[in-house]
Amino acid sequence: MMAFLGISPQLLFGQLLIGLINGVFYAMMSLGVAIIFGMLRIGNFVHGAQYMLGAFGAWYLLHLPDLFPGLGLPSLGYWWALALVPVAVGLIGAFMERVFIRRVYELEHAYGLLLTVGLTMVIEGLFNVGYGAAGQRYDIPATLKGGVNLGFMFLPYYRLWVIAAGLFVCALTWYIVERTKLGAYLRAATENPNLVRAFGINVPRMLMLTYAFGVGLAGLAGVMAAPIYQVSPQMGQSIIITIFAVVVIGGMGSISGAIFTGLMLGMIEGLTKVFWPQASTTVIFVIMVLVLILRPAGLFGKETASVHAANISMARPNSFLENGRLWLPILSGVGVVLPFLVYPVFGMKIMCFALFACAYNLIFGYVGLLAFGHAAFFGSSAYIAAFTAASWGFPPEFAVLSGMTVATVMGAVFGWLAIRRQGLYFAMITLALAQLVYFYALQAPWTHGEDGIQSVPRGYLFGFIDLEDTMNMYYFVLAVFLIGFAAIYRIGRSPFGQILKSIRENELRAISLGYSTDRFKLLAFTLSAMFAGLAGATKAIVFQIASLADLYFTTSADALLMTLIGGVGTLLGPIVGAIVVVAMQKEFATLGAWVVVVQGAAFVLCVLFLRKGVVGTFEDWLATRSESKRNAAGYTADLAAKGAE
Amino acid sequence: MTRAAADNIVEVRGLTKRFHGFAAVSNVDLDVRRRSVHALIGPNGAGKTTFFNLITKVHQPSEGSIRFNGDDITNEDPAHVARRGMVRSFQISAIFPRMTVAENVRIALQRPKGISFHFWRSDSSLSVLDDRVDELLAAVGLEQMRDKTAGGLPYGRKRALEFATTLALDPELLLLDEPTSGLGTEDVERIAALIRSVSANRTIIMVEHNLSIVARLADRITVLARGKILAEGTYSEVSTDPRVIEAYIGGDE
Ligand SMILES: Nc1ncnc2c1ncn2[C@@H]1O[C@H](COP(=O)(O)OP(=O)(O)OP(=O)(O)O)[C@@H](O)[C@H]1O
Ligand SMILES: [Mg+2]
Repeated sequence: MMAFLGISPQLLFGQLLIGLINGVFYAMMSLGVAIIFGMLRIGNFVHGAQYMLGAFGAWYLLHLPDLFPGLGLPSLGYWWALALVPVAVGLIGAFMERVFIRRVYELEHAYGLLLTVGLTMVIEGLFNVGYGAAGQRYDIPATLKGGVNLGFMFLPYYRLWVIAAGLFVCALTWYIVERTKLGAYLRAATENPNLVRAFGINVPRMLMLTYAFGVGLAGLAGVMAAPIYQVSPQMGQSIIITIFAVVVIGGMGSISGAIFTGLMLGMIEGLTKVFWPQASTTVIFVIMVLVLILRPAGLFGKETASVHAANISMARPNSFLENGRLWLPILSGVGVVLPFLVYPVFGMKIMCFALFACAYNLIFGYVGLLAFGHAAFFGSSAYIAAFTAASWGFPPEFAVLSGMTVATVMGAVFGWLAIRRQGLYFAMITLALAQLVYFYALQAPWTHGEDGIQSVPRGYLFGFIDLEDTMNMYYFVLAVFLIGFAAIYRIGRSPFGQILKSIRENELRAISLGYSTDRFKLLAFTLSAMFAGLAGATKAIVFQIASLADLYFTTSADALLMTLIGGVGTLLGPIVGAIVVVAMQKEFATLGAWVVVVQGAAFVLCVLFLRKGVVGTFEDWLATRSESKRNAAGYTADLAAKGAE
Repeated sequence: MTRAAADNIVEVRGLTKRFHGFAAVSNVDLDVRRRSVHALIGPNGAGKTTFFNLITKVHQPSEGSIRFNGDDITNEDPAHVARRGMVRSFQISAIFPRMTVAENVRIALQRPKGISFHFWRSDSSLSVLDDRVDELLAAVGLEQMRDKTAGGLPYGRKRALEFATTLALDPELLLLDEPTSGLGTEDVERIAALIRSVSANRTIIMVEHNLSIVARLADRITVLARGKILAEGTYSEVSTDPRVIEAYIGGDE
């Protein structure tokens, strides 16, 4: 056979085959995510972890004798796993639905995503504790060993099997949802749950079964993937973000669309690996960007015109806790004495993350947009500041400004793209765009891959203040923090902030009064990115490093967690949240891999029991107290009046 | 012909909206004369609210065209339409619940000032609007409640607040979706008087179930049933039309 463009057919077809296999997994996974999203309105972030559970399930069955020595258990192979594991994973799914997910159906969909992010961290964290980063081998079953030589390429039987079985499962799912009575009920339940309930159908059970089914699909994909990829705790982590991108590209609307999109993107990814290997990790995200520009509703999406931002702010407008003029001096005072009470480095870390959370709160709390990719702004800015300081010798103030500028521009572009879609899609898009940046930083030469940019010089501020001196550095960070805090406070209470508030309260009404709300959201998003950038750049100078962790989705999740713990939309919440999270990370640092588990559990507990956050709960308490005081006062006044009669 | 066009503030042709194949509004032609009060009536589910949603561009029509002041606005976005001077109220009162009563009205007043993107200014710069806010609140009888949280108001007061907010934009065309529904008699009279007083130099289209209000206020009435225009004319013409009577009785069975 002839080589095409200097590429051997073996390579081309080999990659296409791998692409097709990836495509089958994307299709199976995005099918589950799309069904769960469509029927339950839950952005099932934990889908990747459930896929990982499937792979580990297969591995466990194989190693039953080693895991439980003395019980005389047999080692169950691949075919047993194929039959048992999806059911087991589905049952775990049903349990998770019952215990956790069911509790957030009625809430803003932000909580569903947060909850599943928390569950993901717990599950993946636990497996990480148990197995570390190293993968476990899972052999191809004996019956499917070997392959056939097609002349132009070697086709392993196992891969053929995966493609055939995967396509069959997809087709079967399509048939069930689109062509059977059960599927008709399911679809009706999403459009009008009350109607279906009136037919005497147990809707909660149906939702649980739907969730279990979607999760079971992920488990099945996991078993099928076990012999191809390594069985490792991380295997679900990056695939879920890709799956979200696939769902965004396909758009909600049709099951066949989800399947087709998954397969197609797998193939495109495979082809990219042949012609431009460096781009293969990012190509799906780039396609997502193109689709958003050209066909915002997605390839198969029928956009429903539901405009509404999530109103989850926990602030009480006239509470003294919301009064920045009071709190700015208090924070300044505390900030000045803090380094004499705790390690200055600890204080600086808190302030960097508090600023980051305040920036995030600007978009999530003030506007109600569930952004889930703020790591992109924080991390990019950290990298730019580190690079300009280390390689170009920029003084710290210019390094920080450079980082901020890049974050601002990036925020404008990402916001412009993401605002085309509403609600959960907004979260998925911001997440996917941030992942794009992460993969870029992983590969670009100037970011030094896994190492990051290290030994960043702190330099001389304004040419004469030596920041190598810890106290000088500390007060610089304090100044940055206070300026950021004051600026964000001002934005919230400006004419612009008033419009943001109205958008959060009732977007449709704001539009009907003549406000093009998308433009306001875009400006708010850009400003939020700018301050996230300020935080990231400052962090890079303080800790003298910019690393991939700054760009990873866990950093976006941190911002969310801090805001949530403190109290979404409150003035002080992000600061309180930052203190809690940073302190927690420090406390549990000795526990190593457990930190993620603890953080995940904090997420879950917050969503279930502390939705108002520390500050929100405190404000509520104050409100009830002043209420009962007023009642008591009214009562005494009544008595006095009576006595006077 | 241009003369006639200039007399109509709104001209709708062949307007159709289908939801999943079901035509909520179908092939509606409607002209609304400038400075008139035009009522839109019809049984529940007739498509009145959908018609409002179409001409204010909350929904994109499946077919047909809409002209406002002679300009084709069929493909414009809703905020832009509002900025042209067509402002609506909603059937279920639309307010900003966690803002104060005064702030609600101020949101509308703020737009023409052109400072809504000024994120660096303090919102005390908006205090120049306070006098106008008080005037508007006094007009709807809310001056006592100025600093109360809007969400805590009783229903009738919320509707009054929404009305004041809508009026704050001094719209050329005011669309009112059932302005008196759910109100006590006293409030109904207050709103009716208010509609009359603001109708002097603007056009009003209103959806209204209270026929005595319609009889008193409307210059012209269009009756909608199952998405189609059933009859159009003055109150006496419409109220004696046998098809209208049948639609109302048939619609309520
Ligand atoms: N967004 C939508 N999706 C699907 N169907 C809709 C939608 N909006 C309205 N409809 C349907 O269109 C029809 C007309 O509804 P519309 O609200 O316009 O009636 P209406 O005349 O305002 O009635 P009412 O007097 O009860 O307010 C109804 O059958 C309604 O169910
Ligand atoms: Mg209606």
